[in-house]
Amino acid sequence: MEAAYNLAFWLVRSRTDAEDIVQEAYLRAFRAFDGFHGEDMRPWLLAIVRNSAYRWLNNRRRSGTVISLEEAFAEGSEENIDQLAANEPTAEDRLIGAAERDYVLRALGELPPALREVLVLREIEELSYRDIAEVTGAPIGTVMSRLSRGRGELRKVLARLIEKDEPDAV
Amino acid sequence: MQCERARELLSPYVDGELSADERRAVAAHIQGCRTCEAQVADFHRVGRTLAETGREPMPKALALRLRANLAREAEKVVPAVVEPVAFTAPPRRRQFVTPSFLRQAAAMAAVCVVSALATWWVLGTFGETSRLEQDVLAAHMRSLLQDSPIQVASSDTHTVKPWFAGRIDFAPDVKDLSADGFPLIGGRLDYVSGRRVVAVVYKRRLHTINVFMWPSSGPGDAAPRVMTRNGYNLITWSRGGISYWAVSDLNAGDLSQLQGLL
Repeated sequence: MEAAYNLAFWLVRSRTDAEDIVQEAYLRAFRAFDGFHGEDMRPWLLAIVRNSAYRWLNNRRRSGTVISLEEAFAEGSEENIDQLAANEPTAEDRLIGAAERDYVLRALGELPPALREVLVLREIEELSYRDIAEVTGAPIGTVMSRLSRGRGELRKVLARLIEKDEPDAV
Repeated sequence: MQCERARELLSPYVDGELSADERRAVAAHIQGCRTCEAQVADFHRVGRTLAETGREPMPKALALRLRANLAREAEKVVPAVVEPVAFTAPPRRRQFVTPSFLRQAAAMAAVCVVSALATWWVLGTFGETSRLEQDVLAAHMRSLLQDSPIQVASSDTHTVKPWFAGRIDFAPDVKDLSADGFPLIGGRLDYVSGRRVVAVVYKRRLHTINVFMWPSSGPGDAAPRVMTRNGYNLITWSRGGISYWAVSDLNAGDLSQLQGLL
């Protein structure tokens, strides 16, 4: 259940909305249990939570308060991690400091949801690629490339946040 | 391996999701490439930070609300408790995979996730049934909610059995039944009705079976009795001065087979 709340929170980034989403998702899971035929309940349940969260995000988008998921997702998608990898190895040393955790969490929040969710499922919930594929409904190859891109983007956003806050550091 | 190709594989490398060949190739490349080595270190470090601090703590009130919601929902669908059936009844008499069974299972499963509250739920839905059955089933549920239902993990009876020596004042039956399709998982100590008992854990496919044992109070042996509670099957019997309770969500036929083997 902690995983359900955590995923909902990271997708919608609001505690109260995450609570509503988890409650809705659990009732839906309960009523739809006849449709569950897998071995492991966790990915199945997280997929329902994820769907609820995306429905919520879509509603919010329609009300015009945020940019669309597609836009958010498309942004930066053409860039590959080569550029990042070309950074000097010393650059990431500066990413590690007393404030790193704040930066990492802020940076995660800035990623597009499609990249954010795979990082949450992998790094926090420690799901396998197979389980992440089941939760997100994407092929394993897509999970792999999103994680790869997610990690690259995370690194880039981290560098940007740190540079903004501490211009002298970079 | 080319650096360009290696970079694409660094992320699945960190996740341990590469084939053995790819893993070796990437590892060899990293040895000689400072950029890739630094990036892997970075992935690890950021991943660790996320793992340690990324989880948004769940509000306590949410667990309570969920419990209330699901309990209300469960009341709508959980049918009356089935009375104990004689062991001689055909074991597959009941059709287990019915929508109502699945809903019951869903009720149990959903509440399982609301972990700390499961015992309360089991007790709350029992009504007038015997205290002992409640305790046995609650102990079974507790074991499923823990990360692991066992304290000593082994499929070897010669590991599990001695583990109990000194922890309990009788020698419990621990059998390796993997040839019969009931692999031994391990054992633990548990409490049922205020007494310390032995729990030996077996598996049948994906089902976990707890076999509880303690010295029986009355003299003589008792024939096996099968009962169903909340979608769980229980069998109790006593033999040689030991009371046995086997509990699982496994079907009654398979559970009876295990009883016959023990």
